[in-house]
Amino acid sequence: MPAAPLISVRDLSKHFRTFKRREGVWGAIRNLVKRDYQSVHAVDRVTFDIQPGEMVGYIGPNGAGKSTTIKMLTGILVPTAGELLSNGFVPWKQRRQYVKSIGVVFGQRTQLWWDIAVVESFKLLRKIYDVSQHDYDARMELFNHVLKLKDYLDTPVRKLSLGERMRCDLAAALLHNPPILFLDEPTIGLDVVAKDHIRQFLKEINQRYRTTVLLTTHDLDDIEELCKRIMIIDHGRLLYDGPLALLKQKLLRTKQVKFVVKDSEQAARLPALENDGLKIEPVDHLTYRIVFDRTKISVADLLRQILAEVEVRDLLIEDEPIEEIVKRIYAGEALKEVTA
Amino acid sequence: MKKHLQLLAAYAVQFIKVRFAYRADFLISTGASVLATVFAFGFLLVLFQKVPQLAGWKFEEVLFLYGFSLIPFGLFNVVSLNLYNFGNDFIIEGKFDRVLLRPVASLHQVIFEVFRIESLHEVVVGLLAVWLASSRLRLAWGPLEFLLLAFFALCGGIIYVSIFLMLTCVSFWVEDRVGVHPPVWNLIAFGRYPLSIYSGFVQFLLSWIIPFGFATFYPSVRLLGRAEFRLYAWLVPVVAAAFFTLALALWNRGVRNYASTGS
Repeated sequence: MPAAPLISVRDLSKHFRTFKRREGVWGAIRNLVKRDYQSVHAVDRVTFDIQPGEMVGYIGPNGAGKSTTIKMLTGILVPTAGELLSNGFVPWKQRRQYVKSIGVVFGQRTQLWWDIAVVESFKLLRKIYDVSQHDYDARMELFNHVLKLKDYLDTPVRKLSLGERMRCDLAAALLHNPPILFLDEPTIGLDVVAKDHIRQFLKEINQRYRTTVLLTTHDLDDIEELCKRIMIIDHGRLLYDGPLALLKQKLLRTKQVKFVVKDSEQAARLPALENDGLKIEPVDHLTYRIVFDRTKISVADLLRQILAEVEVRDLLIEDEPIEEIVKRIYAGEALKEVTA
Repeated sequence: MKKHLQLLAAYAVQFIKVRFAYRADFLISTGASVLATVFAFGFLLVLFQKVPQLAGWKFEEVLFLYGFSLIPFGLFNVVSLNLYNFGNDFIIEGKFDRVLLRPVASLHQVIFEVFRIESLHEVVVGLLAVWLASSRLRLAWGPLEFLLLAFFALCGGIIYVSIFLMLTCVSFWVEDRVGVHPPVWNLIAFGRYPLSIYSGFVQFLLSWIIPFGFATFYPSVRLLGRAEFRLYAWLVPVVAAAFFTLALALWNRGVRNYASTGS
């Protein structure tokens, strides 16, 4: 690993002061006069480093502190406490120089001008970021190629579909070829095809320019496709920071075997396999599923047992879906094993 | 600076393109504003049918003042749209995040994002009224007067922008969709008549608290060559610079507050 991380975050915290809103008309009037403030620790002593060229997935339930972290990393918000150095800048202090070296996409809202054609937005951004005509042309060609922007370059942004808009937003964020790209839920609301386009594009950019990417998402497929490293935040605290593979390896409790038996005669013999640790669930005609705890029984043993009893036509062994692991983490279980 | 001017031009071209794309909307709104401006002059005519003078000012002089006041006002109107919408569009709807993500001064991005170009008609009508009044008063216009007119108009525009920018800054601290501009907006009309007709309190208010007088009245006094308040014209650029500096400082504090609260 290189000595100097590109982004370095130490004990970063952000506290907000909010007041409790009372309900109803009378409550609204009382709100005008007296407010009960409370302090919310949106981000609480978060520490991490990100190396150049890494793609890191940042996940957590709604309100966990993901967006607040991104806003501090992009210089929009000033932290309450802690240190943050990104690409050699303290983002909120040197905001205008710093933002030249980052690209930002907020999935929920566009960075483009609503009423003007996409290509005109790009031209304005070219001026804003001082991109030379030569670089602009070269990058637009790549974006056109991977993101297929050509068809709607002349359409005003407000007339684009969500998927088209997201592609344009991505291109806009990368027009000045920033070394760092922050994505806040880039695939939210997109269909499978559009999601795939976005992921392919991010891979391409990461490989070609070594762009460092930090992305928040609720779609864990994004992470599985793109990120080797994952950070999990909840209630403002960082719960896990490490390889996705390690998380899986340590926290994968169950696996499942799905198999298709030869015929119904064979299927009738299945109950003989069952015991207290082993439940067989029917999935489909002649298809069955066994979910098992891999700490109690090994895959090899289980397979031996199944194959000894019945004739199997097809068989598939799967990990527990990553969603299930993350659900357990959010629920507060299971993390001690990893963070220790 | 050069980059900012280039950007300003690029923004303006873009915006005008969009504006012309909605042709009917543009024509109707331009037509309506021209009518409103013309009616205002009708009111002046009616007024002077009844009274020969206003605090020692002849009809032509008031016409001059009224016409001149439209020039900085028109310039201000061209760029003011986002000042009124700022609280709602930028703070509550969250567009301000986008502004902070771009390597250009935030105020530049907000003010020069939309242009109400139809307001340029106020500049044109104002110039016509000034020209008409000047020729009837037989005022001598040399190069200095033309320069002064342009300079005063620019200062006046800056004074208007500064006053309303300060009101806009309130949105950084208070969540407010409507904005606090309307009451002050209603005071603009007071600056179109000789300040001498008002009580001392109103004169003070319009000179030192909400200095519309320095955008309209004092420059006109100088250009008309009247004796009263003659030296005040020297203060026009001072007031413009002071209020703009104040507004900018308030804006920057607001941005800092936004960055710490994220509201």
